[in-house]
Amino acid sequence: MVTEILGSAATERARAFIEAQGLQFEPVFDDLVGIFEGGALVAIGARDRDVLKMFAIDPSRQGGALLGALVTELVRRGFAAGHEGFFVFTKPEHATSFEALNFELLASNGRAALLEHGRGLARYLEANGAAVREGANAAVVMNCNPFTLGHRHLVEEAAGRVDTLYAFVVREDRSAFPFDVRLRLAREGTSHLGNVHVLDTSRYAVSAVTFPAYFLKRADDAAAIQMELDLLLFAQRIAPFFRITRRFFGSEPYCPTTRAYNDAMRRLLPSFGIEPVEVARKEARGAPISASMVRAALRDGSSAGLEQWVPGTTAAFLSSEEGRAVQERLRKGEARDA
Amino acid sequence: MSIGKKAQAGTIQSSDLMVFVEPDAGLVIEIESTVKRQFEHLIRAKIEEILRGQGITAGRVRVSDRGALDYAIQARLETALQRASGE
Repeated sequence: MVTEILGSAATERARAFIEAQGLQFEPVFDDLVGIFEGGALVAIGARDRDVLKMFAIDPSRQGGALLGALVTELVRRGFAAGHEGFFVFTKPEHATSFEALNFELLASNGRAALLEHGRGLARYLEANGAAVREGANAAVVMNCNPFTLGHRHLVEEAAGRVDTLYAFVVREDRSAFPFDVRLRLAREGTSHLGNVHVLDTSRYAVSAVTFPAYFLKRADDAAAIQMELDLLLFAQRIAPFFRITRRFFGSEPYCPTTRAYNDAMRRLLPSFGIEPVEVARKEARGAPISASMVRAALRDGSSAGLEQWVPGTTAAFLSSEEGRAVQERLRKGEARDA
Repeated sequence: MSIGKKAQAGTIQSSDLMVFVEPDAGLVIEIESTVKRQFEHLIRAKIEEILRGQGITAGRVRVSDRGALDYAIQARLETALQRASGE
């Protein structure tokens, strides 16, 4: 029977079990469940929001029904907590064990595999079917925290060279500006362009699922694997659906993680028939515009000259009551600065 | 009977299925199954028959099936529906 692991003594036991299997114990989770037999821990798994993780099963008990029992309990708890679908990262050799449980393989790069339970990607694509256009199409993926003249420049440059441009705004809500605001400002800031569709990435691009390291801001080996999975998912599943054959992105003078992601795009996308196109960043006052500069200025309360960095639509939001509340949160440092 | 709230029943173990139901304006049935290619139409027919029997005309029913027999489909779906009706 699957039981919840509660209390520090039991959690320490779980940690020792996971580490004995050569895995890393991650202390961030909503649920940690295990299976005991005769007082001995034989299997363990965890859930962090809609991500299932830290599966470890005693080697002598692998290949049976324990994984199914763990996943059943974690999915049951996750559904009760309001989640529809669930993701799992695993080693490629374990992907088939999850596929047998009706997980669908989203991307695999030889070192890691990303799978999901619940047909989320299929539903996401179906929901966006009306936006699909024939022709030479391209994509940009942006966080827009908040939407700047830099974003507008990138979108204008790209839209001028293609039939239809899909501007995906990262849904992941770990930014100072909430997703609905980032999406709205991107729509308002590009409404003068008739061939631009501003869409929600859902969980399928640069999210805590495909790309957790982006939100941790470090460029290590795990980050490199996740960038690849993110791009494979884009190239193999998203781009073909939207008939995307080019991906535009801004040059990155500041952030090493984003620069590594740009390099990964140049390396990986061409083999899937997608041309990576780098656009030089728009400058103001002799420096490339970045959303983090805008946030820093807002945090310091030095909003003079902001109109050189953001379009009128974003400026209007910032002076609204809702916009002032975001600035207040920025100043108090409540919002994560991704 | 009607689907008044989200509910779930069953497991993802072999020969079983997990059923999720929730309110929806229309009637939507989504089937994932390890035997989808051979048996999706039969699973769907069984689900439709049970929903009809309960007088349910609206809601979203998702099943994740691993080769469950009709009796299991019936038991799991009826349990989920009962939970969703708040009884």
